[in-house]
Amino acid sequence: MKLFNLNKLHHELDSLTFLQVCIGTIFLSIFLIAPLLLMTGQAFISKNGINLTWFTDLLGSPEYVSFQSRGGRFGEVYNGILYLWGFDYGILLNSLIVAAIVTLICSIIGVLVAFFVNRYNFFGKRIFQILLLVPLLATPFVNAYVIGKLFNPRGGLINYIFYDFLHILPWRIDIDGLFGIILAQVLSYYPIVYLNVSAALNNIDPSLEEMAENLGAKSLKLFRTITFPLIIPSLAAGAIITFIFSLEDLGATIGFIGARANPLAKKVVSYQVFSSFAEALTGGISPKVAALAVIILILTVSSYILVQKYVNIRNYTMLSKGGRWGSRVSVPSKHRQSFIFVFLLLLIIIASMPQIGTILLATTDWTTSGALPTKITGEYLTTLWTNQDVTRAITNSLVYSLIAVVIMVIVGSSIAYVVAKRNIPGKGILDLLATIPVAVPGITLAVGYFLLFGQYFRGSVLDPLKDPALLLIIAYSIRRLPFMIRSVHAGLQQIDKSLEESSFNLGAGRTTTFVKIILPLVIGHLISGALLGFVYSMAEVSTSVTLGALREDREPITFFISRIIYGVAAVGSVSIGASMCMLLMAVEIAAMTISNYILKQKVSYLGV
Amino acid sequence: MVNIKLKNINKNFGEVAAAKSVNLFIEDGEFFTLLGPSGCGKTTIMRMIAGLEYPDEGTILFDGKDVTKEPSFKRNTGMVFQNYALWPHMSVEENVAYGLKIRKFNEAEIKKRVTEALEQVKLTGMGKRFPTQLSGGQQQRVALARVLVINPSVLLLDEPLSNLDAKLRVEMREEIKELQKRLGITTVYVTHDQEEALIISDRIAVQNKGEIKQIGTPLEIYDHPKDVFIATFIGKGTLLQGSISEKNKVNVDNYYLSYTNNLELKEGDKVNVLIRPESFVLNKPSEESNRLEGIIESITFVGQYTELKIVIGNFSIIVNTSPKTILNKNEKIVGYVPYGNTILLPYEELV
Repeated sequence: MKLFNLNKLHHELDSLTFLQVCIGTIFLSIFLIAPLLLMTGQAFISKNGINLTWFTDLLGSPEYVSFQSRGGRFGEVYNGILYLWGFDYGILLNSLIVAAIVTLICSIIGVLVAFFVNRYNFFGKRIFQILLLVPLLATPFVNAYVIGKLFNPRGGLINYIFYDFLHILPWRIDIDGLFGIILAQVLSYYPIVYLNVSAALNNIDPSLEEMAENLGAKSLKLFRTITFPLIIPSLAAGAIITFIFSLEDLGATIGFIGARANPLAKKVVSYQVFSSFAEALTGGISPKVAALAVIILILTVSSYILVQKYVNIRNYTMLSKGGRWGSRVSVPSKHRQSFIFVFLLLLIIIASMPQIGTILLATTDWTTSGALPTKITGEYLTTLWTNQDVTRAITNSLVYSLIAVVIMVIVGSSIAYVVAKRNIPGKGILDLLATIPVAVPGITLAVGYFLLFGQYFRGSVLDPLKDPALLLIIAYSIRRLPFMIRSVHAGLQQIDKSLEESSFNLGAGRTTTFVKIILPLVIGHLISGALLGFVYSMAEVSTSVTLGALREDREPITFFISRIIYGVAAVGSVSIGASMCMLLMAVEIAAMTISNYILKQKVSYLGV
Repeated sequence: MVNIKLKNINKNFGEVAAAKSVNLFIEDGEFFTLLGPSGCGKTTIMRMIAGLEYPDEGTILFDGKDVTKEPSFKRNTGMVFQNYALWPHMSVEENVAYGLKIRKFNEAEIKKRVTEALEQVKLTGMGKRFPTQLSGGQQQRVALARVLVINPSVLLLDEPLSNLDAKLRVEMREEIKELQKRLGITTVYVTHDQEEALIISDRIAVQNKGEIKQIGTPLEIYDHPKDVFIATFIGKGTLLQGSISEKNKVNVDNYYLSYTNNLELKEGDKVNVLIRPESFVLNKPSEESNRLEGIIESITFVGQYTELKIVIGNFSIIVNTSPKTILNKNEKIVGYVPYGNTILLPYEELV
């Protein structure tokens, strides 16, 4: 058998497909593969040629990997304060431990919540379903700042209520450092697992569970033997995303540093890479940082691909789906209902603290007033259009995100169409390359861009030291491309191929058919993906605060917020950062509403 | 209108052969049906004619012109898909106008032709509706109008009736046939329904596992099936095994039946014998017939006829009789099968 049928390829590769394949391949090669390869290459080169010097340096240094605690406090009571900081096991291990713990806790909460919401009816369920998603509203840096502020032993609201006022706690609580990062991340990321598992629970054919019940399995046994195994693939998908997000997260670490200036909050990989960019302006990025980024990249990409393979093999929830049915929902006893109610209520209150805190910071004098705000003020929100630096950052982000969305639409629809509808050799690789950005931490992409375009495109429009704007735009579009592709792909899969073929048959070529038949049919998905891409680009953190740091007048919103929180900007302006977060939240809510209620598209959740 | 010639067409999907050395000649204006069980490759052959698939080997000629490598949009065929493939984002009018717009007709001409086409398929006034607002039968008509409006040189119909309910199917079948005769358009029709094929076609090609097994008029194929597969796929009947005893006589379990087939057979050759249920008649017909005598084992009332299972010696046959004839189980029965309806087939092991 011929492996490669030239004749067939000739029929498949018409001019449109050729163009689409080229757009996808060239874009991904230059802006994803090349920078990451170059970064990896440089990490292996030292004075003495190609070797592992930088890696052995890193792994051998107790600053990065230490099996004994190098400091920190955990569960220690001192002077009437319970310190919850966590121990320092070296930067690299810290990051992995934090990510592992965050993933574990998010998985437990996510599965529990998903099960409650999708299998039980209880009072207030519909409102809970909406409120559970509040943590998805990005309030970068400010979220951790709020938590740091709430748990401050001196004047923090939580300590004020539970120690000073209610006298429930025997000590004041001080949450900070790595423990603080874990708390902030868990509160932001549990909805990822929740949404993934919810989708799986909804997809399980109820007859599978009914059959088990019919054979005598009940409640816990049923969950352990049937339901849980069926949701494992989705759980794995949500968990790996949580793990990757935690590893690359800069919001929590910078937020905590800003709130409390505890050096332990700096002992994570993402912060180290971030701080190297502050020096990059004068010196450049050391290969050691590249090596650190490579280690993280290998970890995230390999685990992502493994999970993706596993999910594809074990994706059997749809197996016996037939007929019309809703998923199994029961009304539990009053006793259980109240348990679920209280559990979810507490979770929502705790998880929404960052968002509530952000609003309080933006609309009151809370920054300076102590435990509780004393008066409402509009002076911070007005800075959104009066303060020149603020408006510049907002305008920058708007422009970057809009252009990034245009790129996403062109590249994303091209790749999605080739992958979903065309049959050309190597399209699997294109598909993989286009989904991989989910697993590439923004900080590693930033390092790759800096090395490639700073060294080999010096002085050009792509040189980040000259002007990082274009690279930021491209970074946004690469990083959010998978969401666009997933959205369009879902739309394309619903289009029977006969709808295209009947157009060819009536005399239309492939390009005409693409424009007149395919695009109108996936326009909802395309807009939905574009909205999502726009929102994520506006709130993008990792490349924004690294590449965006290279030229002041090009800074995007998130870098501006991080500067404020980090304490570089004037004191008291945290409220301005919070106001900008409110703007981000407003944009997110608007996008989700349009997507859900006008376009009738389910907002794509983050997953494999 | 054109004639279509397929020369030595081969097409494989992996290990599965969709077309094996297929040779066909479809006359100008002919209603030609590709008939076969699902998965036999009949739709693939139609798609190759439409240019939606390309053969691995062989050539396709329209009026003697080689179109093998031409893409679909250059062939001017009109294909009606099994699921109709109406574009849901376009109204009925827009669907029908599509091919004309591609061909750059002016607005007035498009309007005129669309109106005519909708009239032709009895959908006048439905132009503004959307496909989802139409019934299955109406959608079918839109799909027809959409291809007829461009005056295609070939009309291709892929199981067009399979998604309709039984009554509508009969109605549409008649309409399609009538329309085809009126327009005189070369038509290729794909179906797995042998009854539909017999009723609607000028000629039928029976296909199995990629191979064309027999080509002929409905009558030829029904009365003179070439082999056991065709005999069982088309129409009903009892298959018996026998051997040639002397010239034009076959021995079936010591019953000697005369036949008129002109198969090349010699004494002692094993053969299969097919007896259609309606060939068995109770009153001796004028033509020369085999007399059969047996016991009625079962009686099933079907409606238009009554089905009998008759045991004759060591074998049994299924026959149809008029429901008006009063018969009883276990009764003796005598009937006749004309020599011409005693159909001999090349021997094959029966499953």
